[in-house]
This record gives sequence, structure tokens and C-alpha cells, in this order.
Amino acid sequence: MALITVKDLSFTYPNSDKKALSDISLTIEKGEFITLMGATGSGKSTLLRLLKPELRQNGDISGEVLFNDRQTETLSPRESAEKIGYVAQNPEEQIVTDKVWHELAFTLENLGARRSDIARRVAETAAYFGISDRMERDTATLSGGEKQLLNLAAVMTADPELLLLDEPTAQLDPIAAARFIETVYRLNRETGVTVLICEHRAEELFAISDRVVILDDGQIKYDAAPRQVAAQIDINSPHEAFLPTAARIAHLVYQSSDAFGSLYQKAPNDIPLNIREGQRFIGQFANTVRVLDDESSAHPDAVALSLKNIHFRYERNSPDILRDLSLTVYGGEVFALLGANGAGKSTAAAVIAGLRKPYSGTVKLFDKPLKDYKNGSLYQNNLSLLPQDTESVFIRETVGEELKGCETIVESFPYDLRPLYSRHPYDISGGERQLAALCKALSTGPRLLIMDEPSKGLDNHAKTLLRDIILRLKSDGVTVLLITHDTEFAALCADRCALFAQGNIAAVDTTENFMSGNRFYTTAASRITRQRYDGAYTADRAARLIRLNGGAP
Amino acid sequence: MIVIQNKNLRTMMKYVIPFVLIPVLVAISAIVFAGQRYIIISLGIAVLAILLFITGFERKNIGSRRMVITAIMTALAVFGRFIPLFKPITAICVMTAVYLGAEAGFLCGSMSVLISNIYFGQGPWTPFQMLGFGLIGLFAGYLSKVLMRSRWLMLLYGVIAGVAYSFIMDIWTVLWYAGGFDLKLYTAAIVSAIPFTLLYAVSNVVFLLILQKTVGNKLNRIKIKYGV
Amino acid sequence: MKRFEQLNPLAVAIYYLCVLIITMFSMNPLLLGIALVTSVISGILTGTAKLRTHLIFALVFLVAAVLNPLFVHKGVTVLFYLNDRPITLEATAYGLCAAAMLVAALYRLRELSKTLTSDKVLYLFGRISPKLALLLSMTIRYVSLLHIRWRKISDSQRALGLYDDGNLIDAVRGRARVLSILITWTLENGIITAESMESRGYGSGRRTSYAVYRVHTADIIFIIVCLLLTAATAVGVWQSQTAYYPALDMDLLTPWGSAGAAAFALLGVLPLIINAKEAIRWRLLLSKT
Ligand SMILES: Nc1ncnc2c1ncn2[C@@H]1O[C@H](COP(=O)(O)OP(=O)(O)OP(=O)(O)O)[C@@H](O)[C@H]1O
Ligand SMILES: Nc1ncnc2c1ncn2[C@@H]1O[C@H](COP(=O)(O)OP(=O)(O)OP(=O)(O)O)[C@@H](O)[C@H]1O
Ligand SMILES: [Mg+2]
Ligand SMILES: [Mg+2]
Repeated sequence: MALITVKDLSFTYPNSDKKALSDISLTIEKGEFITLMGATGSGKSTLLRLLKPELRQNGDISGEVLFNDRQTETLSPRESAEKIGYVAQNPEEQIVTDKVWHELAFTLENLGARRSDIARRVAETAAYFGISDRMERDTATLSGGEKQLLNLAAVMTADPELLLLDEPTAQLDPIAAARFIETVYRLNRETGVTVLICEHRAEELFAISDRVVILDDGQIKYDAAPRQVAAQIDINSPHEAFLPTAARIAHLVYQSSDAFGSLYQKAPNDIPLNIREGQRFIGQFANTVRVLDDESSAHPDAVALSLKNIHFRYERNSPDILRDLSLTVYGGEVFALLGANGAGKSTAAAVIAGLRKPYSGTVKLFDKPLKDYKNGSLYQNNLSLLPQDTESVFIRETVGEELKGCETIVESFPYDLRPLYSRHPYDISGGERQLAALCKALSTGPRLLIMDEPSKGLDNHAKTLLRDIILRLKSDGVTVLLITHDTEFAALCADRCALFAQGNIAAVDTTENFMSGNRFYTTAASRITRQRYDGAYTADRAARLIRLNGGAP
Repeated sequence: MIVIQNKNLRTMMKYVIPFVLIPVLVAISAIVFAGQRYIIISLGIAVLAILLFITGFERKNIGSRRMVITAIMTALAVFGRFIPLFKPITAICVMTAVYLGAEAGFLCGSMSVLISNIYFGQGPWTPFQMLGFGLIGLFAGYLSKVLMRSRWLMLLYGVIAGVAYSFIMDIWTVLWYAGGFDLKLYTAAIVSAIPFTLLYAVSNVVFLLILQKTVGNKLNRIKIKYGV
Repeated sequence: MKRFEQLNPLAVAIYYLCVLIITMFSMNPLLLGIALVTSVISGILTGTAKLRTHLIFALVFLVAAVLNPLFVHKGVTVLFYLNDRPITLEATAYGLCAAAMLVAALYRLRELSKTLTSDKVLYLFGRISPKLALLLSMTIRYVSLLHIRWRKISDSQRALGLYDDGNLIDAVRGRARVLSILITWTLENGIITAESMESRGYGSGRRTSYAVYRVHTADIIFIIVCLLLTAATAVGVWQSQTAYYPALDMDLLTPWGSAGAAAFALLGVLPLIINAKEAIRWRLLLSKT
């Protein structure tokens, strides 16, 4: 039975003349797990919001949306709250109350449930999600992953029939994100809740979804089982980037081969979608050539930044966040610092930028101890920090005023920010905001740029853009310290990577060795190819190696 | 739970409590108790006034956006009390009242006191402070049209509110200590509090000046963008 | 964990209300003495007052005691003259009692503040109005968020080279800018919170208010004992005579007066008794196994 039926839905925002959605038709069966993908601005959030009456935005709407064969507009707020759960991107802002238990009770309170019922549901839900031990915690002190799990749990207390998730893992590290998606999947299997999730994480989602829907410019481009979608997507289309790495490797391998057509048209079931299938796929090729012999770039000799035996804690009797941290970054390289949520990466950045004082150890920037930079000279032409929360950067009412004095940088950007000049910094998209903040960070002409999670919430296109900017900075001689939990992004642009764990560097190496050496904290391509090739840490490199070995059998 | 169902009655109460009920109760207590134990009476009145207000609030349908903005403004007022010497609480209450209405002003004032006293210490002064700041917000809300039109009037309101608040709080201090009103003690209290009163009035003006521009614009923008 | 703090917040609040009302509103010297002694003992045993606090309160006591005779010259028994003003026995006695009242109340209020944590205050107000309970809870969360964000913003502004602590004007201007960003950030993103509230049914009907606290039999018994002791004390106050002016006229140790004083002393140490009983019970339990 269809839970949701969308018929010829079109939608236009009031201040725009372009349709954000046009002629969408979609049926969602009870108990299905559906992944919705698409580039930034393709209309994913708009579609999701139209499914829940309270989240509907003003605008021109035509067509209809049925929930259980009823027009969604006729759902009362109460029914909608009970039956349709919604979790969005930003974990922090969706939390309403100050205590974890109160947050869990919030929906039921609003529905006027009796106390005994609330007590039971809250206890049950907390146990299911494994958060019973933090019921008394203040919500403001939870980590990002914990916050998002709480948001999901809080929605589930009402026992909804449909769960709408709008990029819920955008702010999470890969391990927390995988765990979150696993929880959603478990809910889907164990309670039968229907799931519609908007996400970029193809690696996990293609393996578990019943259907994948890809939106393009307000229209449904693909709507089929994951394997079919993988078979339908043309190699040269921009949607190829939405596929999981295993499928992309297969695509790239067959790109120039005649066998391509036959494999994809006749046997879509042979398209690999996850790591295991990818490994099996690769197993059919020879591995006489194990490595690509590209010039392994020796790092420059000049030291840009060195940390020696840094110890840091926030309060006198709280535990150390940085424990005996030592690190060297060479001039002109792109250095990626990877690690889980709460590992202390941002803290390390604050120490490097002189915002927090370590209680022992020394930080040297360009061979000069930090404390020798007097009167803010550290932040003029030396060091600049692009913070994790870009909200903390903007002061003025418009982007134009904000970027005054950064004209040359704006002009040199591959993305044109000028059309946004008249908009408020909060009214532009996350990616655009990230770029505008980067402009401000570059305006002081830093020799060392620290970027804290620059790739969060960006789609693949925006990530490519950001990579181009980083590589250009590198060629201009700027040293870039990239702090991220996005291994795929680090693999794209870093020269060297370090794994940050327990306040310390657990491993540091060239990107190639780093990715091959790690088993979990590495890219999907590396996990697929590790037994047969070395250093194939991107889909591109893996495909090149396969071709060197003779290509398609 | 006491809930006031009728909307007209509720609106009426909004005016009756501050202007009629409280003065009448004070007068009665003065006569019946013949000048003794003012403090108990006034404490009772303060609590009563706040309770009545809260019950009115409970019955009202407050949209989630209004609720969030009120919570943020109240939190800002609490946050402001952590600043040493200068307290922006009055300025924030006034801004809240002017842009979101008298009720939001009252809540912002009284609840920020209640919450910040969790950190600074609750006491018999809590209800008085709650009522004091609540009323500052409430009246600013009633006068919102006037205050919005002229920034000078708003600054003047800040000064008057600052001085009046100090004077009234000192009455309670004396009542509590001396058991009855004592003019000499009161004068002493006022004189010794002059630096604080001045600082208070000045910081009201300073913060109103700062906040009028920043918060005012922002609240306006938010009101338009989100349709509050 | 202390048993007394685990009682329902309502019981705790009623207890302090009773103690404070008697302490603050009776000028009976006997009761005030008891109030002072029990509150100091309680402050020490519950660990709510440290040495520094004791010293400050001692100073407050001295100042408050001297203030009254210096300003009030009522009373018939003149002790001596200071600057041609009479210092009277009555005013001095009154000052001492008022000081005892003040300091005892301060000790109790300190205890109260430490015991009634934010979630307990919220629980108490939530009983009056579920909507207010929500508003308070949201506000408390925002207070924490504002603190965290303030730090984040000043850090990132500094690291962008925009924030200079060089001189006072710059420092003030820097702070004003941080405040401005703080307000924008929080207000603008408030819409997400509002949407989250709506999509979870806020405003769809009559709210209830959930709390982790329950009312147990022990709480009810405790409240009844509190009220009985308070009533006994009140009768004692009623039956004894305390007049300071024009001349001291006291009759404190009437049978009712003594009984009231005893009741008040018991009330003052009630939490300590409960905690001690719990500790003993644990000791016994542990020794048995
Ligand atoms: N409030 C709005 N007013 C006007 N136009 C809007 C508004 N919100 C979104 N749009 C436009 O509608 C289109 C679809 O936006 P939507 O937010 O649904 O995209 P999305 O696929 O969710 O993107 P993202 O991946 O960035 O979240 C975009 O072109 C966007 O600019
Ligand atoms: N201002 C603070 N006061 C106290 N503890 C803090 C503060 N900021 C961060 N912490 C704690 O320090 C630890 C490291 O935090 P940090 O923000 O450096 O992690 P991170 O690696 O940047 O995580 P993420 O990937 O989520 O950004 C966390 O446990 C966090 O709770
Ligand atoms: Mg979106
Ligand atoms: Mg971080």
C-alpha cells in the first residue's frame, strides 16, 4: 500500500520565477527505505518539506501530495507530528530543551500525553538508542554525533510512520555517520518505519536502500533500485559522482572498452555497489603492476609549523585534550589532520593559532615561537584560521559589505561570489557561505592557512571547487593545514595526512602511504583495492592501475 | 491550575494587575497591618502578580517562532548579567517589549532574573526583582509605539527605569532589615547606592544605544523573514 | 548521595520556605538565635559554606548589628552618646537580632541555591504552567549555547586579525562586534529550532509537562512534618511577647514559647537528621552483607 503518493507536483518560491520542483511524481510504499540524491539546489529539501504540512513553505504549488490516501493539507498538526518525523542537517539547532530527557519527552508533551505514558516511551526509546546513561546531561554539552542521535530518538518517541531525514549526517565524522545510518536502517527493519533520506553518502546508502531517487534541477532523473540506477547513469553525466566508489571504479574501467555496453545493459546485477562486491570485481583483473609510478613528491625542507610536546586542557581539573602532541608541517604543503568528532582537532587548531595557551610544550611558526609575534602580527600576513562554524565570521548585513577589501581574492576565485553581494550572509547556501568566509580568511594574506572542516555539508561539485582553490593556494606557496574528518576530501588534495586520536598523532605519512596503511580511517577506494594494489586511494587511481594491468578481461 | 479562559478578561487583567490590584493590596495591608510586616505583604503581592501573569501566558497561543525569540532574548539578558558592572538586562527587556509586545517584555524581565539567580543566588529579593524587571518590560511594551518613534524617549525610559528600579529595590531592602519603613535608613540606603544607580542608568543608556541599532535591525529582519 | 536533596523539589522548596519565613519574619530573639546556630551548623555539615563564606557572613553580621543603633535612636535606655546622638540598648538589641536574622537567612539562601539546581526550579515552575516550563528550559539551553558561541566567535574574529585588545576602545569595539555576531547567529538559526518544535507537534493542542521527579510517600510525610513544626513554631511566636521599643519587653519562655522554640530547632536540623538516618542505614546494610 502506498504511504505517500506525489502526483505532478510543481513548486515555485515566491521571490523566484524558476520552478524549484517541476512535475514530480513519486510513490513510496509502506516500509520502504528510499534515498534521495541530487546536487545542491536540485530541490531535495523543497520536496521533503512539502511532504510535511508544518514545514511547507510559501509559494506556488500545483499537483497533490497524499499521505495514506489523504491530502497532506488535511492532516491536523497533531496527526502530522505523530505520523511524520523530520530530522534535518544541523544537529545543534534542532534541539529545543536543556536536558536530554526533556528533549525525548518534548514531542509527547506537545501531544498532551499522560505522564506515565511519557515515562514509558522515554525510557524505552532511550534504551533502544543506547542513550540511557546520558539522560541527565545538558544538551549543550553533547558532541555533534550524540546530538544528532538524540534528534532522531526524540522524533521516534512519537512512533511515526514516516521518517524524513534531510542530510542528517552532514556534520558527523565517517564513523558516527555510518553508525547513524545503521541506526536508521535498523529502525526501518525492526519497526517498519518508512524512511526517506536525503544524503550524499552513497557508500553506505546504496547497499541498504530499496530505491534511489536522483533529482536534477527540480525533476526526477532516476528512480529505481540502486543497482538499476547505477546501470542507468551514464559515465559522462555529472550524476556519476553520486555513485559509490565500487561502481565508479567499474564505470571508469569500462569507460573506454567495448565490454562496457554489454556488462551494463545485460547484467546490471554485476555492478559492484559496496566494498565486498568491489573487491570481487577487482579480483578479476591481473595485478602484475601493483603501484602507479608517479613522481612521489618529496616534501620541501623549510618548516612552516612545528609543535613540540604540547599538553593542553580546558580546565584545571579536566582531562588533557592534547597529550604530548608533536607535529611538523613543511612550507608549501597541504597537510590534512584527520580524526573523529571530539578527538581534539579544533582544539589543536586553536592552540596553533595562539587562541589557547598550552600548559607545556612549544609552538613555532616559521621558526619563531608564537609568543614572539607581538601586537597581533601573528594574524597579519602570517596565519589565518577558517573556523569550523562559519557563522562566527560574518558581521555585516550583506555579503558585499562583508567582502569589502577582498576584491582581488574574490576575482581570483573559480566561483563568482559577486552576484550574492546584495544578499544577507545567512540567506546564501552553505557552500557559498564557506567560500565567502574563506575570502575573509585570505584577506590578511596568510602564509599558513588553517581550515577547520571546510568540506562539511558540501556536495561533490562544491568539493571539487574547494580542492581547486586549495591547490591554487599551494602553488602560490601558501601552506595549508586542513582539519577534516572527510577522508575522501583529504585524499583529493593533501600531500600528507595525519590521524589524530586521543589528543595525539597516531600516524603521519604521505597521503598514499597513509591511506594504504589504514584499514578503517581511509577511503573506500583504498579499502576495495588494498589486497591487490598499493596506493590506489581514489577511484581514479584504481581505474588507472587496472588499465595498466590490461583492463577489461 | 488556575486558567483564565476568557480573552477579554485576560486583556483586562493585564492592566488591572499592575495598576489596580497591586496598589489596592498595598493600601489594604498598610491599613490592616498598621505598618507592620510590609515585607510579607509585598512578597505575597509580588508572587501573586507573577503567578497571575504566568497563568495568562499559559492560556495564550504562542507561536513557536515567538517562543524561540523570547527564549533567546531572555537568555541574552541572563548572559548579560555575567558582564561585570554593566548590566544590559533592562536594555534587552525594553528591546524585547518594543518589538515583541508587553507580555514578552514582562517574561523576558522576570524570567531572566529567575534563571540568572540560579547562578547568582535566589533569595527573598527574587520575586521583587522579577516583578521589577518584569514591569520595566511591561511598561515598555505598552509604550512601544512612542518608544519606537523616538530614540531619545527610549533612552529617557532607560534612565527612568534604572533610577526607579534602584529606588524601589531600596525600599524593600529597608523594609526587610528594619521591619517597617524608616526614612533615615532609606535615605542612607539611597545615598550609599548612588554610584550604582548612576552606573545603572548610564549602562542602560549605553546598552540601549548599542542594542537599538544591532538588535533592533536584527529583530526587524527576523520578523519579516520568518513572519513572526 | 544526600537523601534530603533527593526529595521532591516541592518538598525541598516548602522546607526552605518554612525555615525562611520564620527566620525572616519573626523578631523573636530566641528563635533568631536558634535560626543562626542551626543555619551555621547546617552550612558546615552540608558543605554549602566554605571558610571564605563564613568570614564574609561574619563581617555582614558585624556591619548589620552596628548599623541600627547608629541610625535609630528610639528606645529609653541610653547606653552612651556618640556625636551627641544617643545609642540605646533597645536599638542595639534590635540591631543584633536583625543581624542574626540577616545572616541566618543568608546561610539558608545559600543552601537553597545550591540545592535547587536549574532543573528543580524548572520543575517547580513547570507545575504552574507547562508552557512556561518549556520557555525556561529553552532559555537555559540558550544560556549555555551563548557562552559557548561567545568564545567561538571571539576566537575566530581574533584569528582573522579583526579583534585587537591593544587599547580600551578597541577592546570595547571588539566585544560589541562579538555581541552583534552572537545575536545574529542565534536569532537567525532560531528558525530551525522553531521548525523543529512545530514538526514535533508544538502548538497542536494542550501541552502536558513531564518531569523526572515523582511525589513519593516520603515526600508527603516530610512536607507534613515541616508544616506541623512550622505551625507549632508559629503558635509559640504568637504566645510569646517581643517588643523592642520603647523599652525591651520580652516574655519568651512561656510553655508555648519554649515548645515553639524546640519545634523550630528540630525544623532547622531536619535535613541533617534525614541524611544521618540514611547514612546509618547504609552502614547497617553494608555490615550485614
Ligand atoms: N526560501 C527560498 N526562497 C527562494 N528560493 C529558494 C528558497 N529555498 C530554496 N530555494 C531555491 O530552490 C531550489 C531548491 O532548493 P533546495 O533547498 O530544495 O535544494 P537542495 O537540493 O536541498 O540543496 P542542498 O543540497 O544545498 O540542501 C534552489 O534553486 C534554491 O536556490
Ligand atoms: N570550550 C570548551 N570547554 C571545555 N571542553 C571543550 C571545549 N571545547 C571543546 N571541548 C572538548 O574538547 C574535546 C575536543 O573538542 P574539539 O572541538 O577539539 O574536537 P574536534 O576534533 O574538533 O571535533 P569535531 O570533529 O566535532 O569538530 C571534546 O571532548 C570537547 O567536548
Ligand atoms: Mg537541502
Ligand atoms: Mg572541530
